[in-house]
Amino acid sequence: MNARNAGSTRNLYSLSCCAEAPIIASSPSLGGRGLEVRVVQQWTDPHPRPLPQAGEGTDSRNSRFVFGLGLLLGAALVFATVLPGCKRAGPPVSDAEVKAGFEKTLPTSIDDAVWQRAPLHPAKLLLQDMVEPRLMQASTAFVNVQAVSDGQRIAFRLSWNDASPDDLPGPARFGDAVAVQLPAATSADAPAPQMGEPGRPVEITYWSAVFQAVVDGRKDDINAIFPQAKVDHYPFEAAALKTGSPEQVAMAKRYAPARSLGNPMAGPRTQPVQDLIAEGPGTLRLSDKSTSSGTGKRAKDGWTVLLSRPLPQGLQAGSRTQVAFAVWEGSHQEVGARKMRTAWVPLALGASQ
Amino acid sequence: MARVYNWQLGREMSYWYPESRPKRQFAAIFDTNKCIACQTCTLACKTTWTSGKGQEYMLWNNVETKPYGFYPMAWDVNLLEKLGAQNWDGQRYAGRTVFEAAQAGERALGWRPEEIDYAHPNVGEDDCVNGVEKGAHFSGVHNSWFFYLARICNHCTYPACLSSCPRASIYKRPEDGIVVIDQARCRGYQECVKACPYKKTFYNALTGTSEKCIACFPKIELGMQPQCFVNCIGKIRFAGWISKPENARPDNPIDFLVHVKKVALPLFPQFGLEPNVYYIPPVNVPRDFLLQMFGPNVDAALETYRNAPKDKDLSGLLTLFGSTEMIVAKWKRADEQVIGFDESGKEIVRVPMREPTLVRQPFDAARKVARTNIS
Repeated sequence: MNARNAGSTRNLYSLSCCAEAPIIASSPSLGGRGLEVRVVQQWTDPHPRPLPQAGEGTDSRNSRFVFGLGLLLGAALVFATVLPGCKRAGPPVSDAEVKAGFEKTLPTSIDDAVWQRAPLHPAKLLLQDMVEPRLMQASTAFVNVQAVSDGQRIAFRLSWNDASPDDLPGPARFGDAVAVQLPAATSADAPAPQMGEPGRPVEITYWSAVFQAVVDGRKDDINAIFPQAKVDHYPFEAAALKTGSPEQVAMAKRYAPARSLGNPMAGPRTQPVQDLIAEGPGTLRLSDKSTSSGTGKRAKDGWTVLLSRPLPQGLQAGSRTQVAFAVWEGSHQEVGARKMRTAWVPLALGASQ
Repeated sequence: MARVYNWQLGREMSYWYPESRPKRQFAAIFDTNKCIACQTCTLACKTTWTSGKGQEYMLWNNVETKPYGFYPMAWDVNLLEKLGAQNWDGQRYAGRTVFEAAQAGERALGWRPEEIDYAHPNVGEDDCVNGVEKGAHFSGVHNSWFFYLARICNHCTYPACLSSCPRASIYKRPEDGIVVIDQARCRGYQECVKACPYKKTFYNALTGTSEKCIACFPKIELGMQPQCFVNCIGKIRFAGWISKPENARPDNPIDFLVHVKKVALPLFPQFGLEPNVYYIPPVNVPRDFLLQMFGPNVDAALETYRNAPKDKDLSGLLTLFGSTEMIVAKWKRADEQVIGFDESGKEIVRVPMREPTLVRQPFDAARKVARTNIS
């Protein structure tokens, strides 16, 4: 910012406008746009990543040689460890369907030992390009699905590659998310895989990285999203009001319309998942009962999410139904209908022993 | 896509939903020539509606200095560039609207502002680049120009925000045409933020929903004008109800200014939303700029406005601006007085065409004392 602007008092709503304290700009994804951009070079990256080191990415002979050598060594290592006995590391792969083996106790963690043996289905993701607004450019290619059931509930372990963790909401900023969809009623003829159809609902368990971050302790506050934001005063935090008193709480709610109307998007949040029902595109609504649970964890190169929900009505151990998945890549502006999704995938529940 | 009639374009156009006009349509007139950018409207709105958490950056009402002021950054020029050059064929728009120019997979042509675009409202818009030397002055023809553009939601007849919402969370109130976002239903997809050409929907990161100007509908329901209207220092604003051109009534103040006198024009009519805030264009701005911003009737509107002193009805009606908190549904001029009525026909305000003046002498002869303040 030019010096002429520093200290300008024409800011209308208590935002500090000095050059050292950018107002609400803290996004790691800010694009370059002239004068304004120089102002915000001091944002705090909420997900710090190591900066590229000198020499990285250069096309020197040295780096090519080192890369080639690494490749050879790597290949040798793979041959030495995998080929003898032809054993694969990790769980077996089930290409055709999701196999939910029977387990007496459902896992509560993504690291549970059961995931070492539960078959893994690499579900191929397709563009949602059937209804507007569509996703026109593909992003996430696969979501790896594992499932187990105890005859009452079913637990899914979903993992996918995603280089950029997106869990901060904001203008033009969207969170990473994943969802599992099951027909509400079990029948050979499943409803339309795109959000069901009128009179033939689908049940959806939706996990969002934005929800997860709040459940994991991110404060319900503007400074948790924009660390350098400065706000003079909220009317519902006036000194005359006792914090937490019924009057104060009621007043704060009035200043958050969606919250006072009980909108499930509006928090405060205790679960990173939502139970939803849909009867066709655009009809998504919160389920009357909240029965799902879940948790998501960020790994270096992607997300792993555990979702658990009751089996849909009529479904029991040993029976079959259909399941579909969707993944949203926040940094790709994916939200709502703009998502990568699967068609129906057969889901086979293991029989109880 | 349905085919709907947009009278501002003089033709039918494509829209996501069939034509469905409300029982009556909220509308407003802003006289840009009177605005001094004091931002009292902005603060009136801010303190009334957007003092909550997550609303810090929201300006449902803002005033920006054109041509270089924007909120959010470049809201209009970004879309104009995306839309490309388009033509009017006389009164008929020969180009494409944002609905007709929508790219594959989209319901409207749009773009989504980022945080940085909202970060500096008004900063730098009016500032000189350098200091001014003592004694410096300008002589000659003053070619520089700017004007203040006050903006709220246009409560469009064909809202792009409404058409773009995949969940139908946005609706147009059938009783008054005010466009609102259902705060119980919205899931914060920000499709409306992307689609609204005027960028008058805002995402609230703490409630996870988008929010927008509600035209102070609790006041409208009581027959009163919104906060940004009644707090306007310059008395530039006037709220009321607009009819379709073929049903225009000269005793309806909005109809008189928009349809009869054609002195107030829609903002960027070419986008195709049939916006319902009408602007009396600024008189000191190059014609090409105004043509782009307000459409092909700019010349006639400016001519009419310049001649207002000779037109007692027009200049009379303009005196009603800012004269009452109530909505003036009907008006008439009785010689040198202009009278405003509410919908029931009850007189609510009476304004003289000219305020009476009293000249006080600098010396008070009765008290034998000089007046130090005679204003």
